[in-house]
Amino acid sequence: MKAPFSPYLAGMAPGLKKLISLLREKYDYVSVLSTDSTGFQTAISQKSKSVTRETLTTERGTVVRVYRKGLYSEAAFTGFDPETVEKTAERISGELEAQFALLESAGVKPYETAVLPDEERTIFTEMETARLPETEDLSALVERLSAISDQGMKDGEEQGIRMIDVMTRASSTHVCKMFLTEKQDLRQSYTYSEGMIAALVAGEDRTEMSYTSLSGRCGPELFDRMAEKLPEAIRIAKDLLVAEHVVPGEYDVITSPEVTGLIAHEAFGHGVEMDMFVKGRALGADYIGKRVGSDMVTMHEGALCAVDVTSYAFDDEGIPAGDVTEIDHGILRTGICDALSALRLGVKPTGNGKRESFSHKVYTRMTNTMFDSGESTLEEMIASIQKGYLLEGMQSGMEDPKHWGIQCILDRGYEIVDGRLTGKIVSPLVMTGYVPDLLGSVSMVSKDREVFGSGYCGKGHKEWVKVADGGPYLKAKVRLG
Amino acid sequence: MAENKALNRLLDILKESGADAWELTETQEKGWEFYLIRHALDQNRVKELESFRVKVYKKFDDCLGSAAAPVPADADDEEMKRIVAGLCQDATYVRNPFYTLNKPEQEGKAFGGQVETVDLKAISGDFLQTVAGLPETDGEDLNSCEVFVSEKRRRFMNSEGIDATVVYPYSMVEAVVNARKDGQEIELYRLYHCGTCDRDTLIRDLTETMRCGRDKLTAVPTPPLEKADVIFSTDASCEIYDYFFSRLSAGSVYRGISDWKIGDVVAPENMKMETAAFLLNSSENAAYDEEGARIRDMTLIDGGKAASYWGSRQFSQYLGLEDSFIASNFIVSGGKESAEEIRCGDYLEIMEFSDFQVDHVTGDIAGEIRLAYLHQGGKTISVSGGSVSGNMNELVKKMQFSAENRQYNCMLIPAVTRLNGATVTGAV
Repeated sequence: MKAPFSPYLAGMAPGLKKLISLLREKYDYVSVLSTDSTGFQTAISQKSKSVTRETLTTERGTVVRVYRKGLYSEAAFTGFDPETVEKTAERISGELEAQFALLESAGVKPYETAVLPDEERTIFTEMETARLPETEDLSALVERLSAISDQGMKDGEEQGIRMIDVMTRASSTHVCKMFLTEKQDLRQSYTYSEGMIAALVAGEDRTEMSYTSLSGRCGPELFDRMAEKLPEAIRIAKDLLVAEHVVPGEYDVITSPEVTGLIAHEAFGHGVEMDMFVKGRALGADYIGKRVGSDMVTMHEGALCAVDVTSYAFDDEGIPAGDVTEIDHGILRTGICDALSALRLGVKPTGNGKRESFSHKVYTRMTNTMFDSGESTLEEMIASIQKGYLLEGMQSGMEDPKHWGIQCILDRGYEIVDGRLTGKIVSPLVMTGYVPDLLGSVSMVSKDREVFGSGYCGKGHKEWVKVADGGPYLKAKVRLG
Repeated sequence: MAENKALNRLLDILKESGADAWELTETQEKGWEFYLIRHALDQNRVKELESFRVKVYKKFDDCLGSAAAPVPADADDEEMKRIVAGLCQDATYVRNPFYTLNKPEQEGKAFGGQVETVDLKAISGDFLQTVAGLPETDGEDLNSCEVFVSEKRRRFMNSEGIDATVVYPYSMVEAVVNARKDGQEIELYRLYHCGTCDRDTLIRDLTETMRCGRDKLTAVPTPPLEKADVIFSTDASCEIYDYFFSRLSAGSVYRGISDWKIGDVVAPENMKMETAAFLLNSSENAAYDEEGARIRDMTLIDGGKAASYWGSRQFSQYLGLEDSFIASNFIVSGGKESAEEIRCGDYLEIMEFSDFQVDHVTGDIAGEIRLAYLHQGGKTISVSGGSVSGNMNELVKKMQFSAENRQYNCMLIPAVTRLNGATVTGAV
């Protein structure tokens, strides 16, 4: 079935077009983004149960962008009334004028930017989904998640693990967005879902929590596969209870697709967000056309290069989704760009202008960030390592586009000695290094690849948006602590 | 607060819904935002937002079901009724042990932080003037800055009769500074949360940040130290004290994420941690929490021992606490040594992490070093790269913290904290 576009937004469209028309009398460019996204989240464990009809991306509201005298300004609001469009237009102008007066008195000048082009474009997309969040049978889902939690407790105890709890969470969102200008009318509707199982376990003087997840650009049908992740959650919990601390140092490693995705995201995901080029905050601007990794490194970014939680039809500035080759066999080719940064840099936008919600500013943000596959098998890669680790599970990462440092906090390392896994496990791991050194050390790449969309990404320490990343297994040399 | 028609309609629908109990929160936010590249205006933004959130409860013998949802401010009666009816059904699916909702408070200590309105223009002007007045030089300056100023208004009502409104200012400033020398340029990142503009603190901290920038230009790769005494004197310290705070939340304890019991030794023997209803210029000052409970001063850790839990009504009652609340501000005190005394011998003082984290479940700490001062054999050098790791369960045994305090928004914590024997992975 198609995920139906919001009747609420469709009903608002004529009023919003009138608002654009009224504001155009005063401003050289006007666009409107309106959102009406609904969803649910349910969390079930042995200790507590909850259900809410909201997720981190459910929202309803409108943001208006206007341009005058080289400056872009925005007004975000809730509660649009098509019967009082004139008042809304006056209120927006009035509030912005009050800001202009303050800015003038403070002596702040605009960062001069050209006006955005407004070309005729119409998109109406209702993407496929098997089920919808708003009509999902939550009673059955709660029962299913409860059964998974119960089964996890039983399985863990049968394996001799002291189980504290098995926590499950399922969330599904139906995203509806409408972007309007004088000449553009873009509407999209799609669903995405995320599931999580975490096992909380106790050992001698330690508590550990394992974490497994699944995601997809789909409806709640995703949760029909939740139980398949349970054995992995229990296995990881058991591993963490016997894990030791790593001896700090530089090691040959194999990164699992999840860890590969984290590297892609932190290294040349954030590193080539071109709004950072405008501010002179990214070293990548000086390396276009230059080598930043080994021949085996090819990386793509874009809403079209995988199908997961952020595979939309157009971004929050009305730019159609793209697929950018950022690194081609080790050579940095280009970055990703929102519409305003593209104007300032004289390049084309790539469909990566995203907002945390309608009430937040647009920044250049990632969608799907993926390493390309190679020719090796995981077995060949393990066999090639004399002393090192197979790295699995991500906890968090942090970008450093200005200096190309990288921080990845990882869950587990499985020791490899003389080409074989020894069974010894280390956890947690802080992987650090200099991005070109890390990517330059990539010497084997596996044939398969996976994408992971359960995470959120911040810009600095704020502005959280959905992203997905992944790739194949990579063999590289990294520093672990 | 002036009555609003949508709220009254929603209240009527809730009362007629068949729910055994309910909670309704109306949230309003007015905000002004300014984005600067160097000192030029990249973009200005205004926002005016209103939303409702309702939670309904259904009773079942010794269980309580509940479900929550946002309700758009422009929802009509039909949409409101559909949402509330759906919640009444959802609430039957998830049943937790019974607990009661907060009740109206008869008496309470007057709250010193209440405001009627927030002057967005005046506060914004203060921030813009402060940013314009930064002591920049040819070698150190502002790369970019984002200023967010809001008036937040929250009205909470429930079926027990609570009707409490809090209004407070919330500000956030993101600042990136550059330092450059001989063709090399570096940046340092700062994010401040606060109530209104504290000009002196902001200028002092950003000036210090620019000094750090100069030092980062001459930093050498961190040598492999294996074990080292690590000093925290920046906002990374918040993570350390938030670990203690989070481990004492009723939700963490009830769910088994924390195994701390009242009376357990959980911190250095002289440490005291207290919640604070009001902390000067905190963005978290409010008389009531989000469930309508009065926020007050309460001791969480005394003499290094866990003294009390804090938390939501549900989890607090499960632990036998009838009179708790969701705390936000806290104060840590009790340090016996001065910051100067703590900075003795060989140590590594971290001035900038990529992202320092303390895992609340395991106690593991981790962070990549972007800039640190290595004090070794009477000499001090700037170092960069590598990482700090370890586990709080071990590190707390030899943890030192200063008598002097420093405020980071909702936390008033020791200015200097020393974790002895942390693992330091070098950058070479």
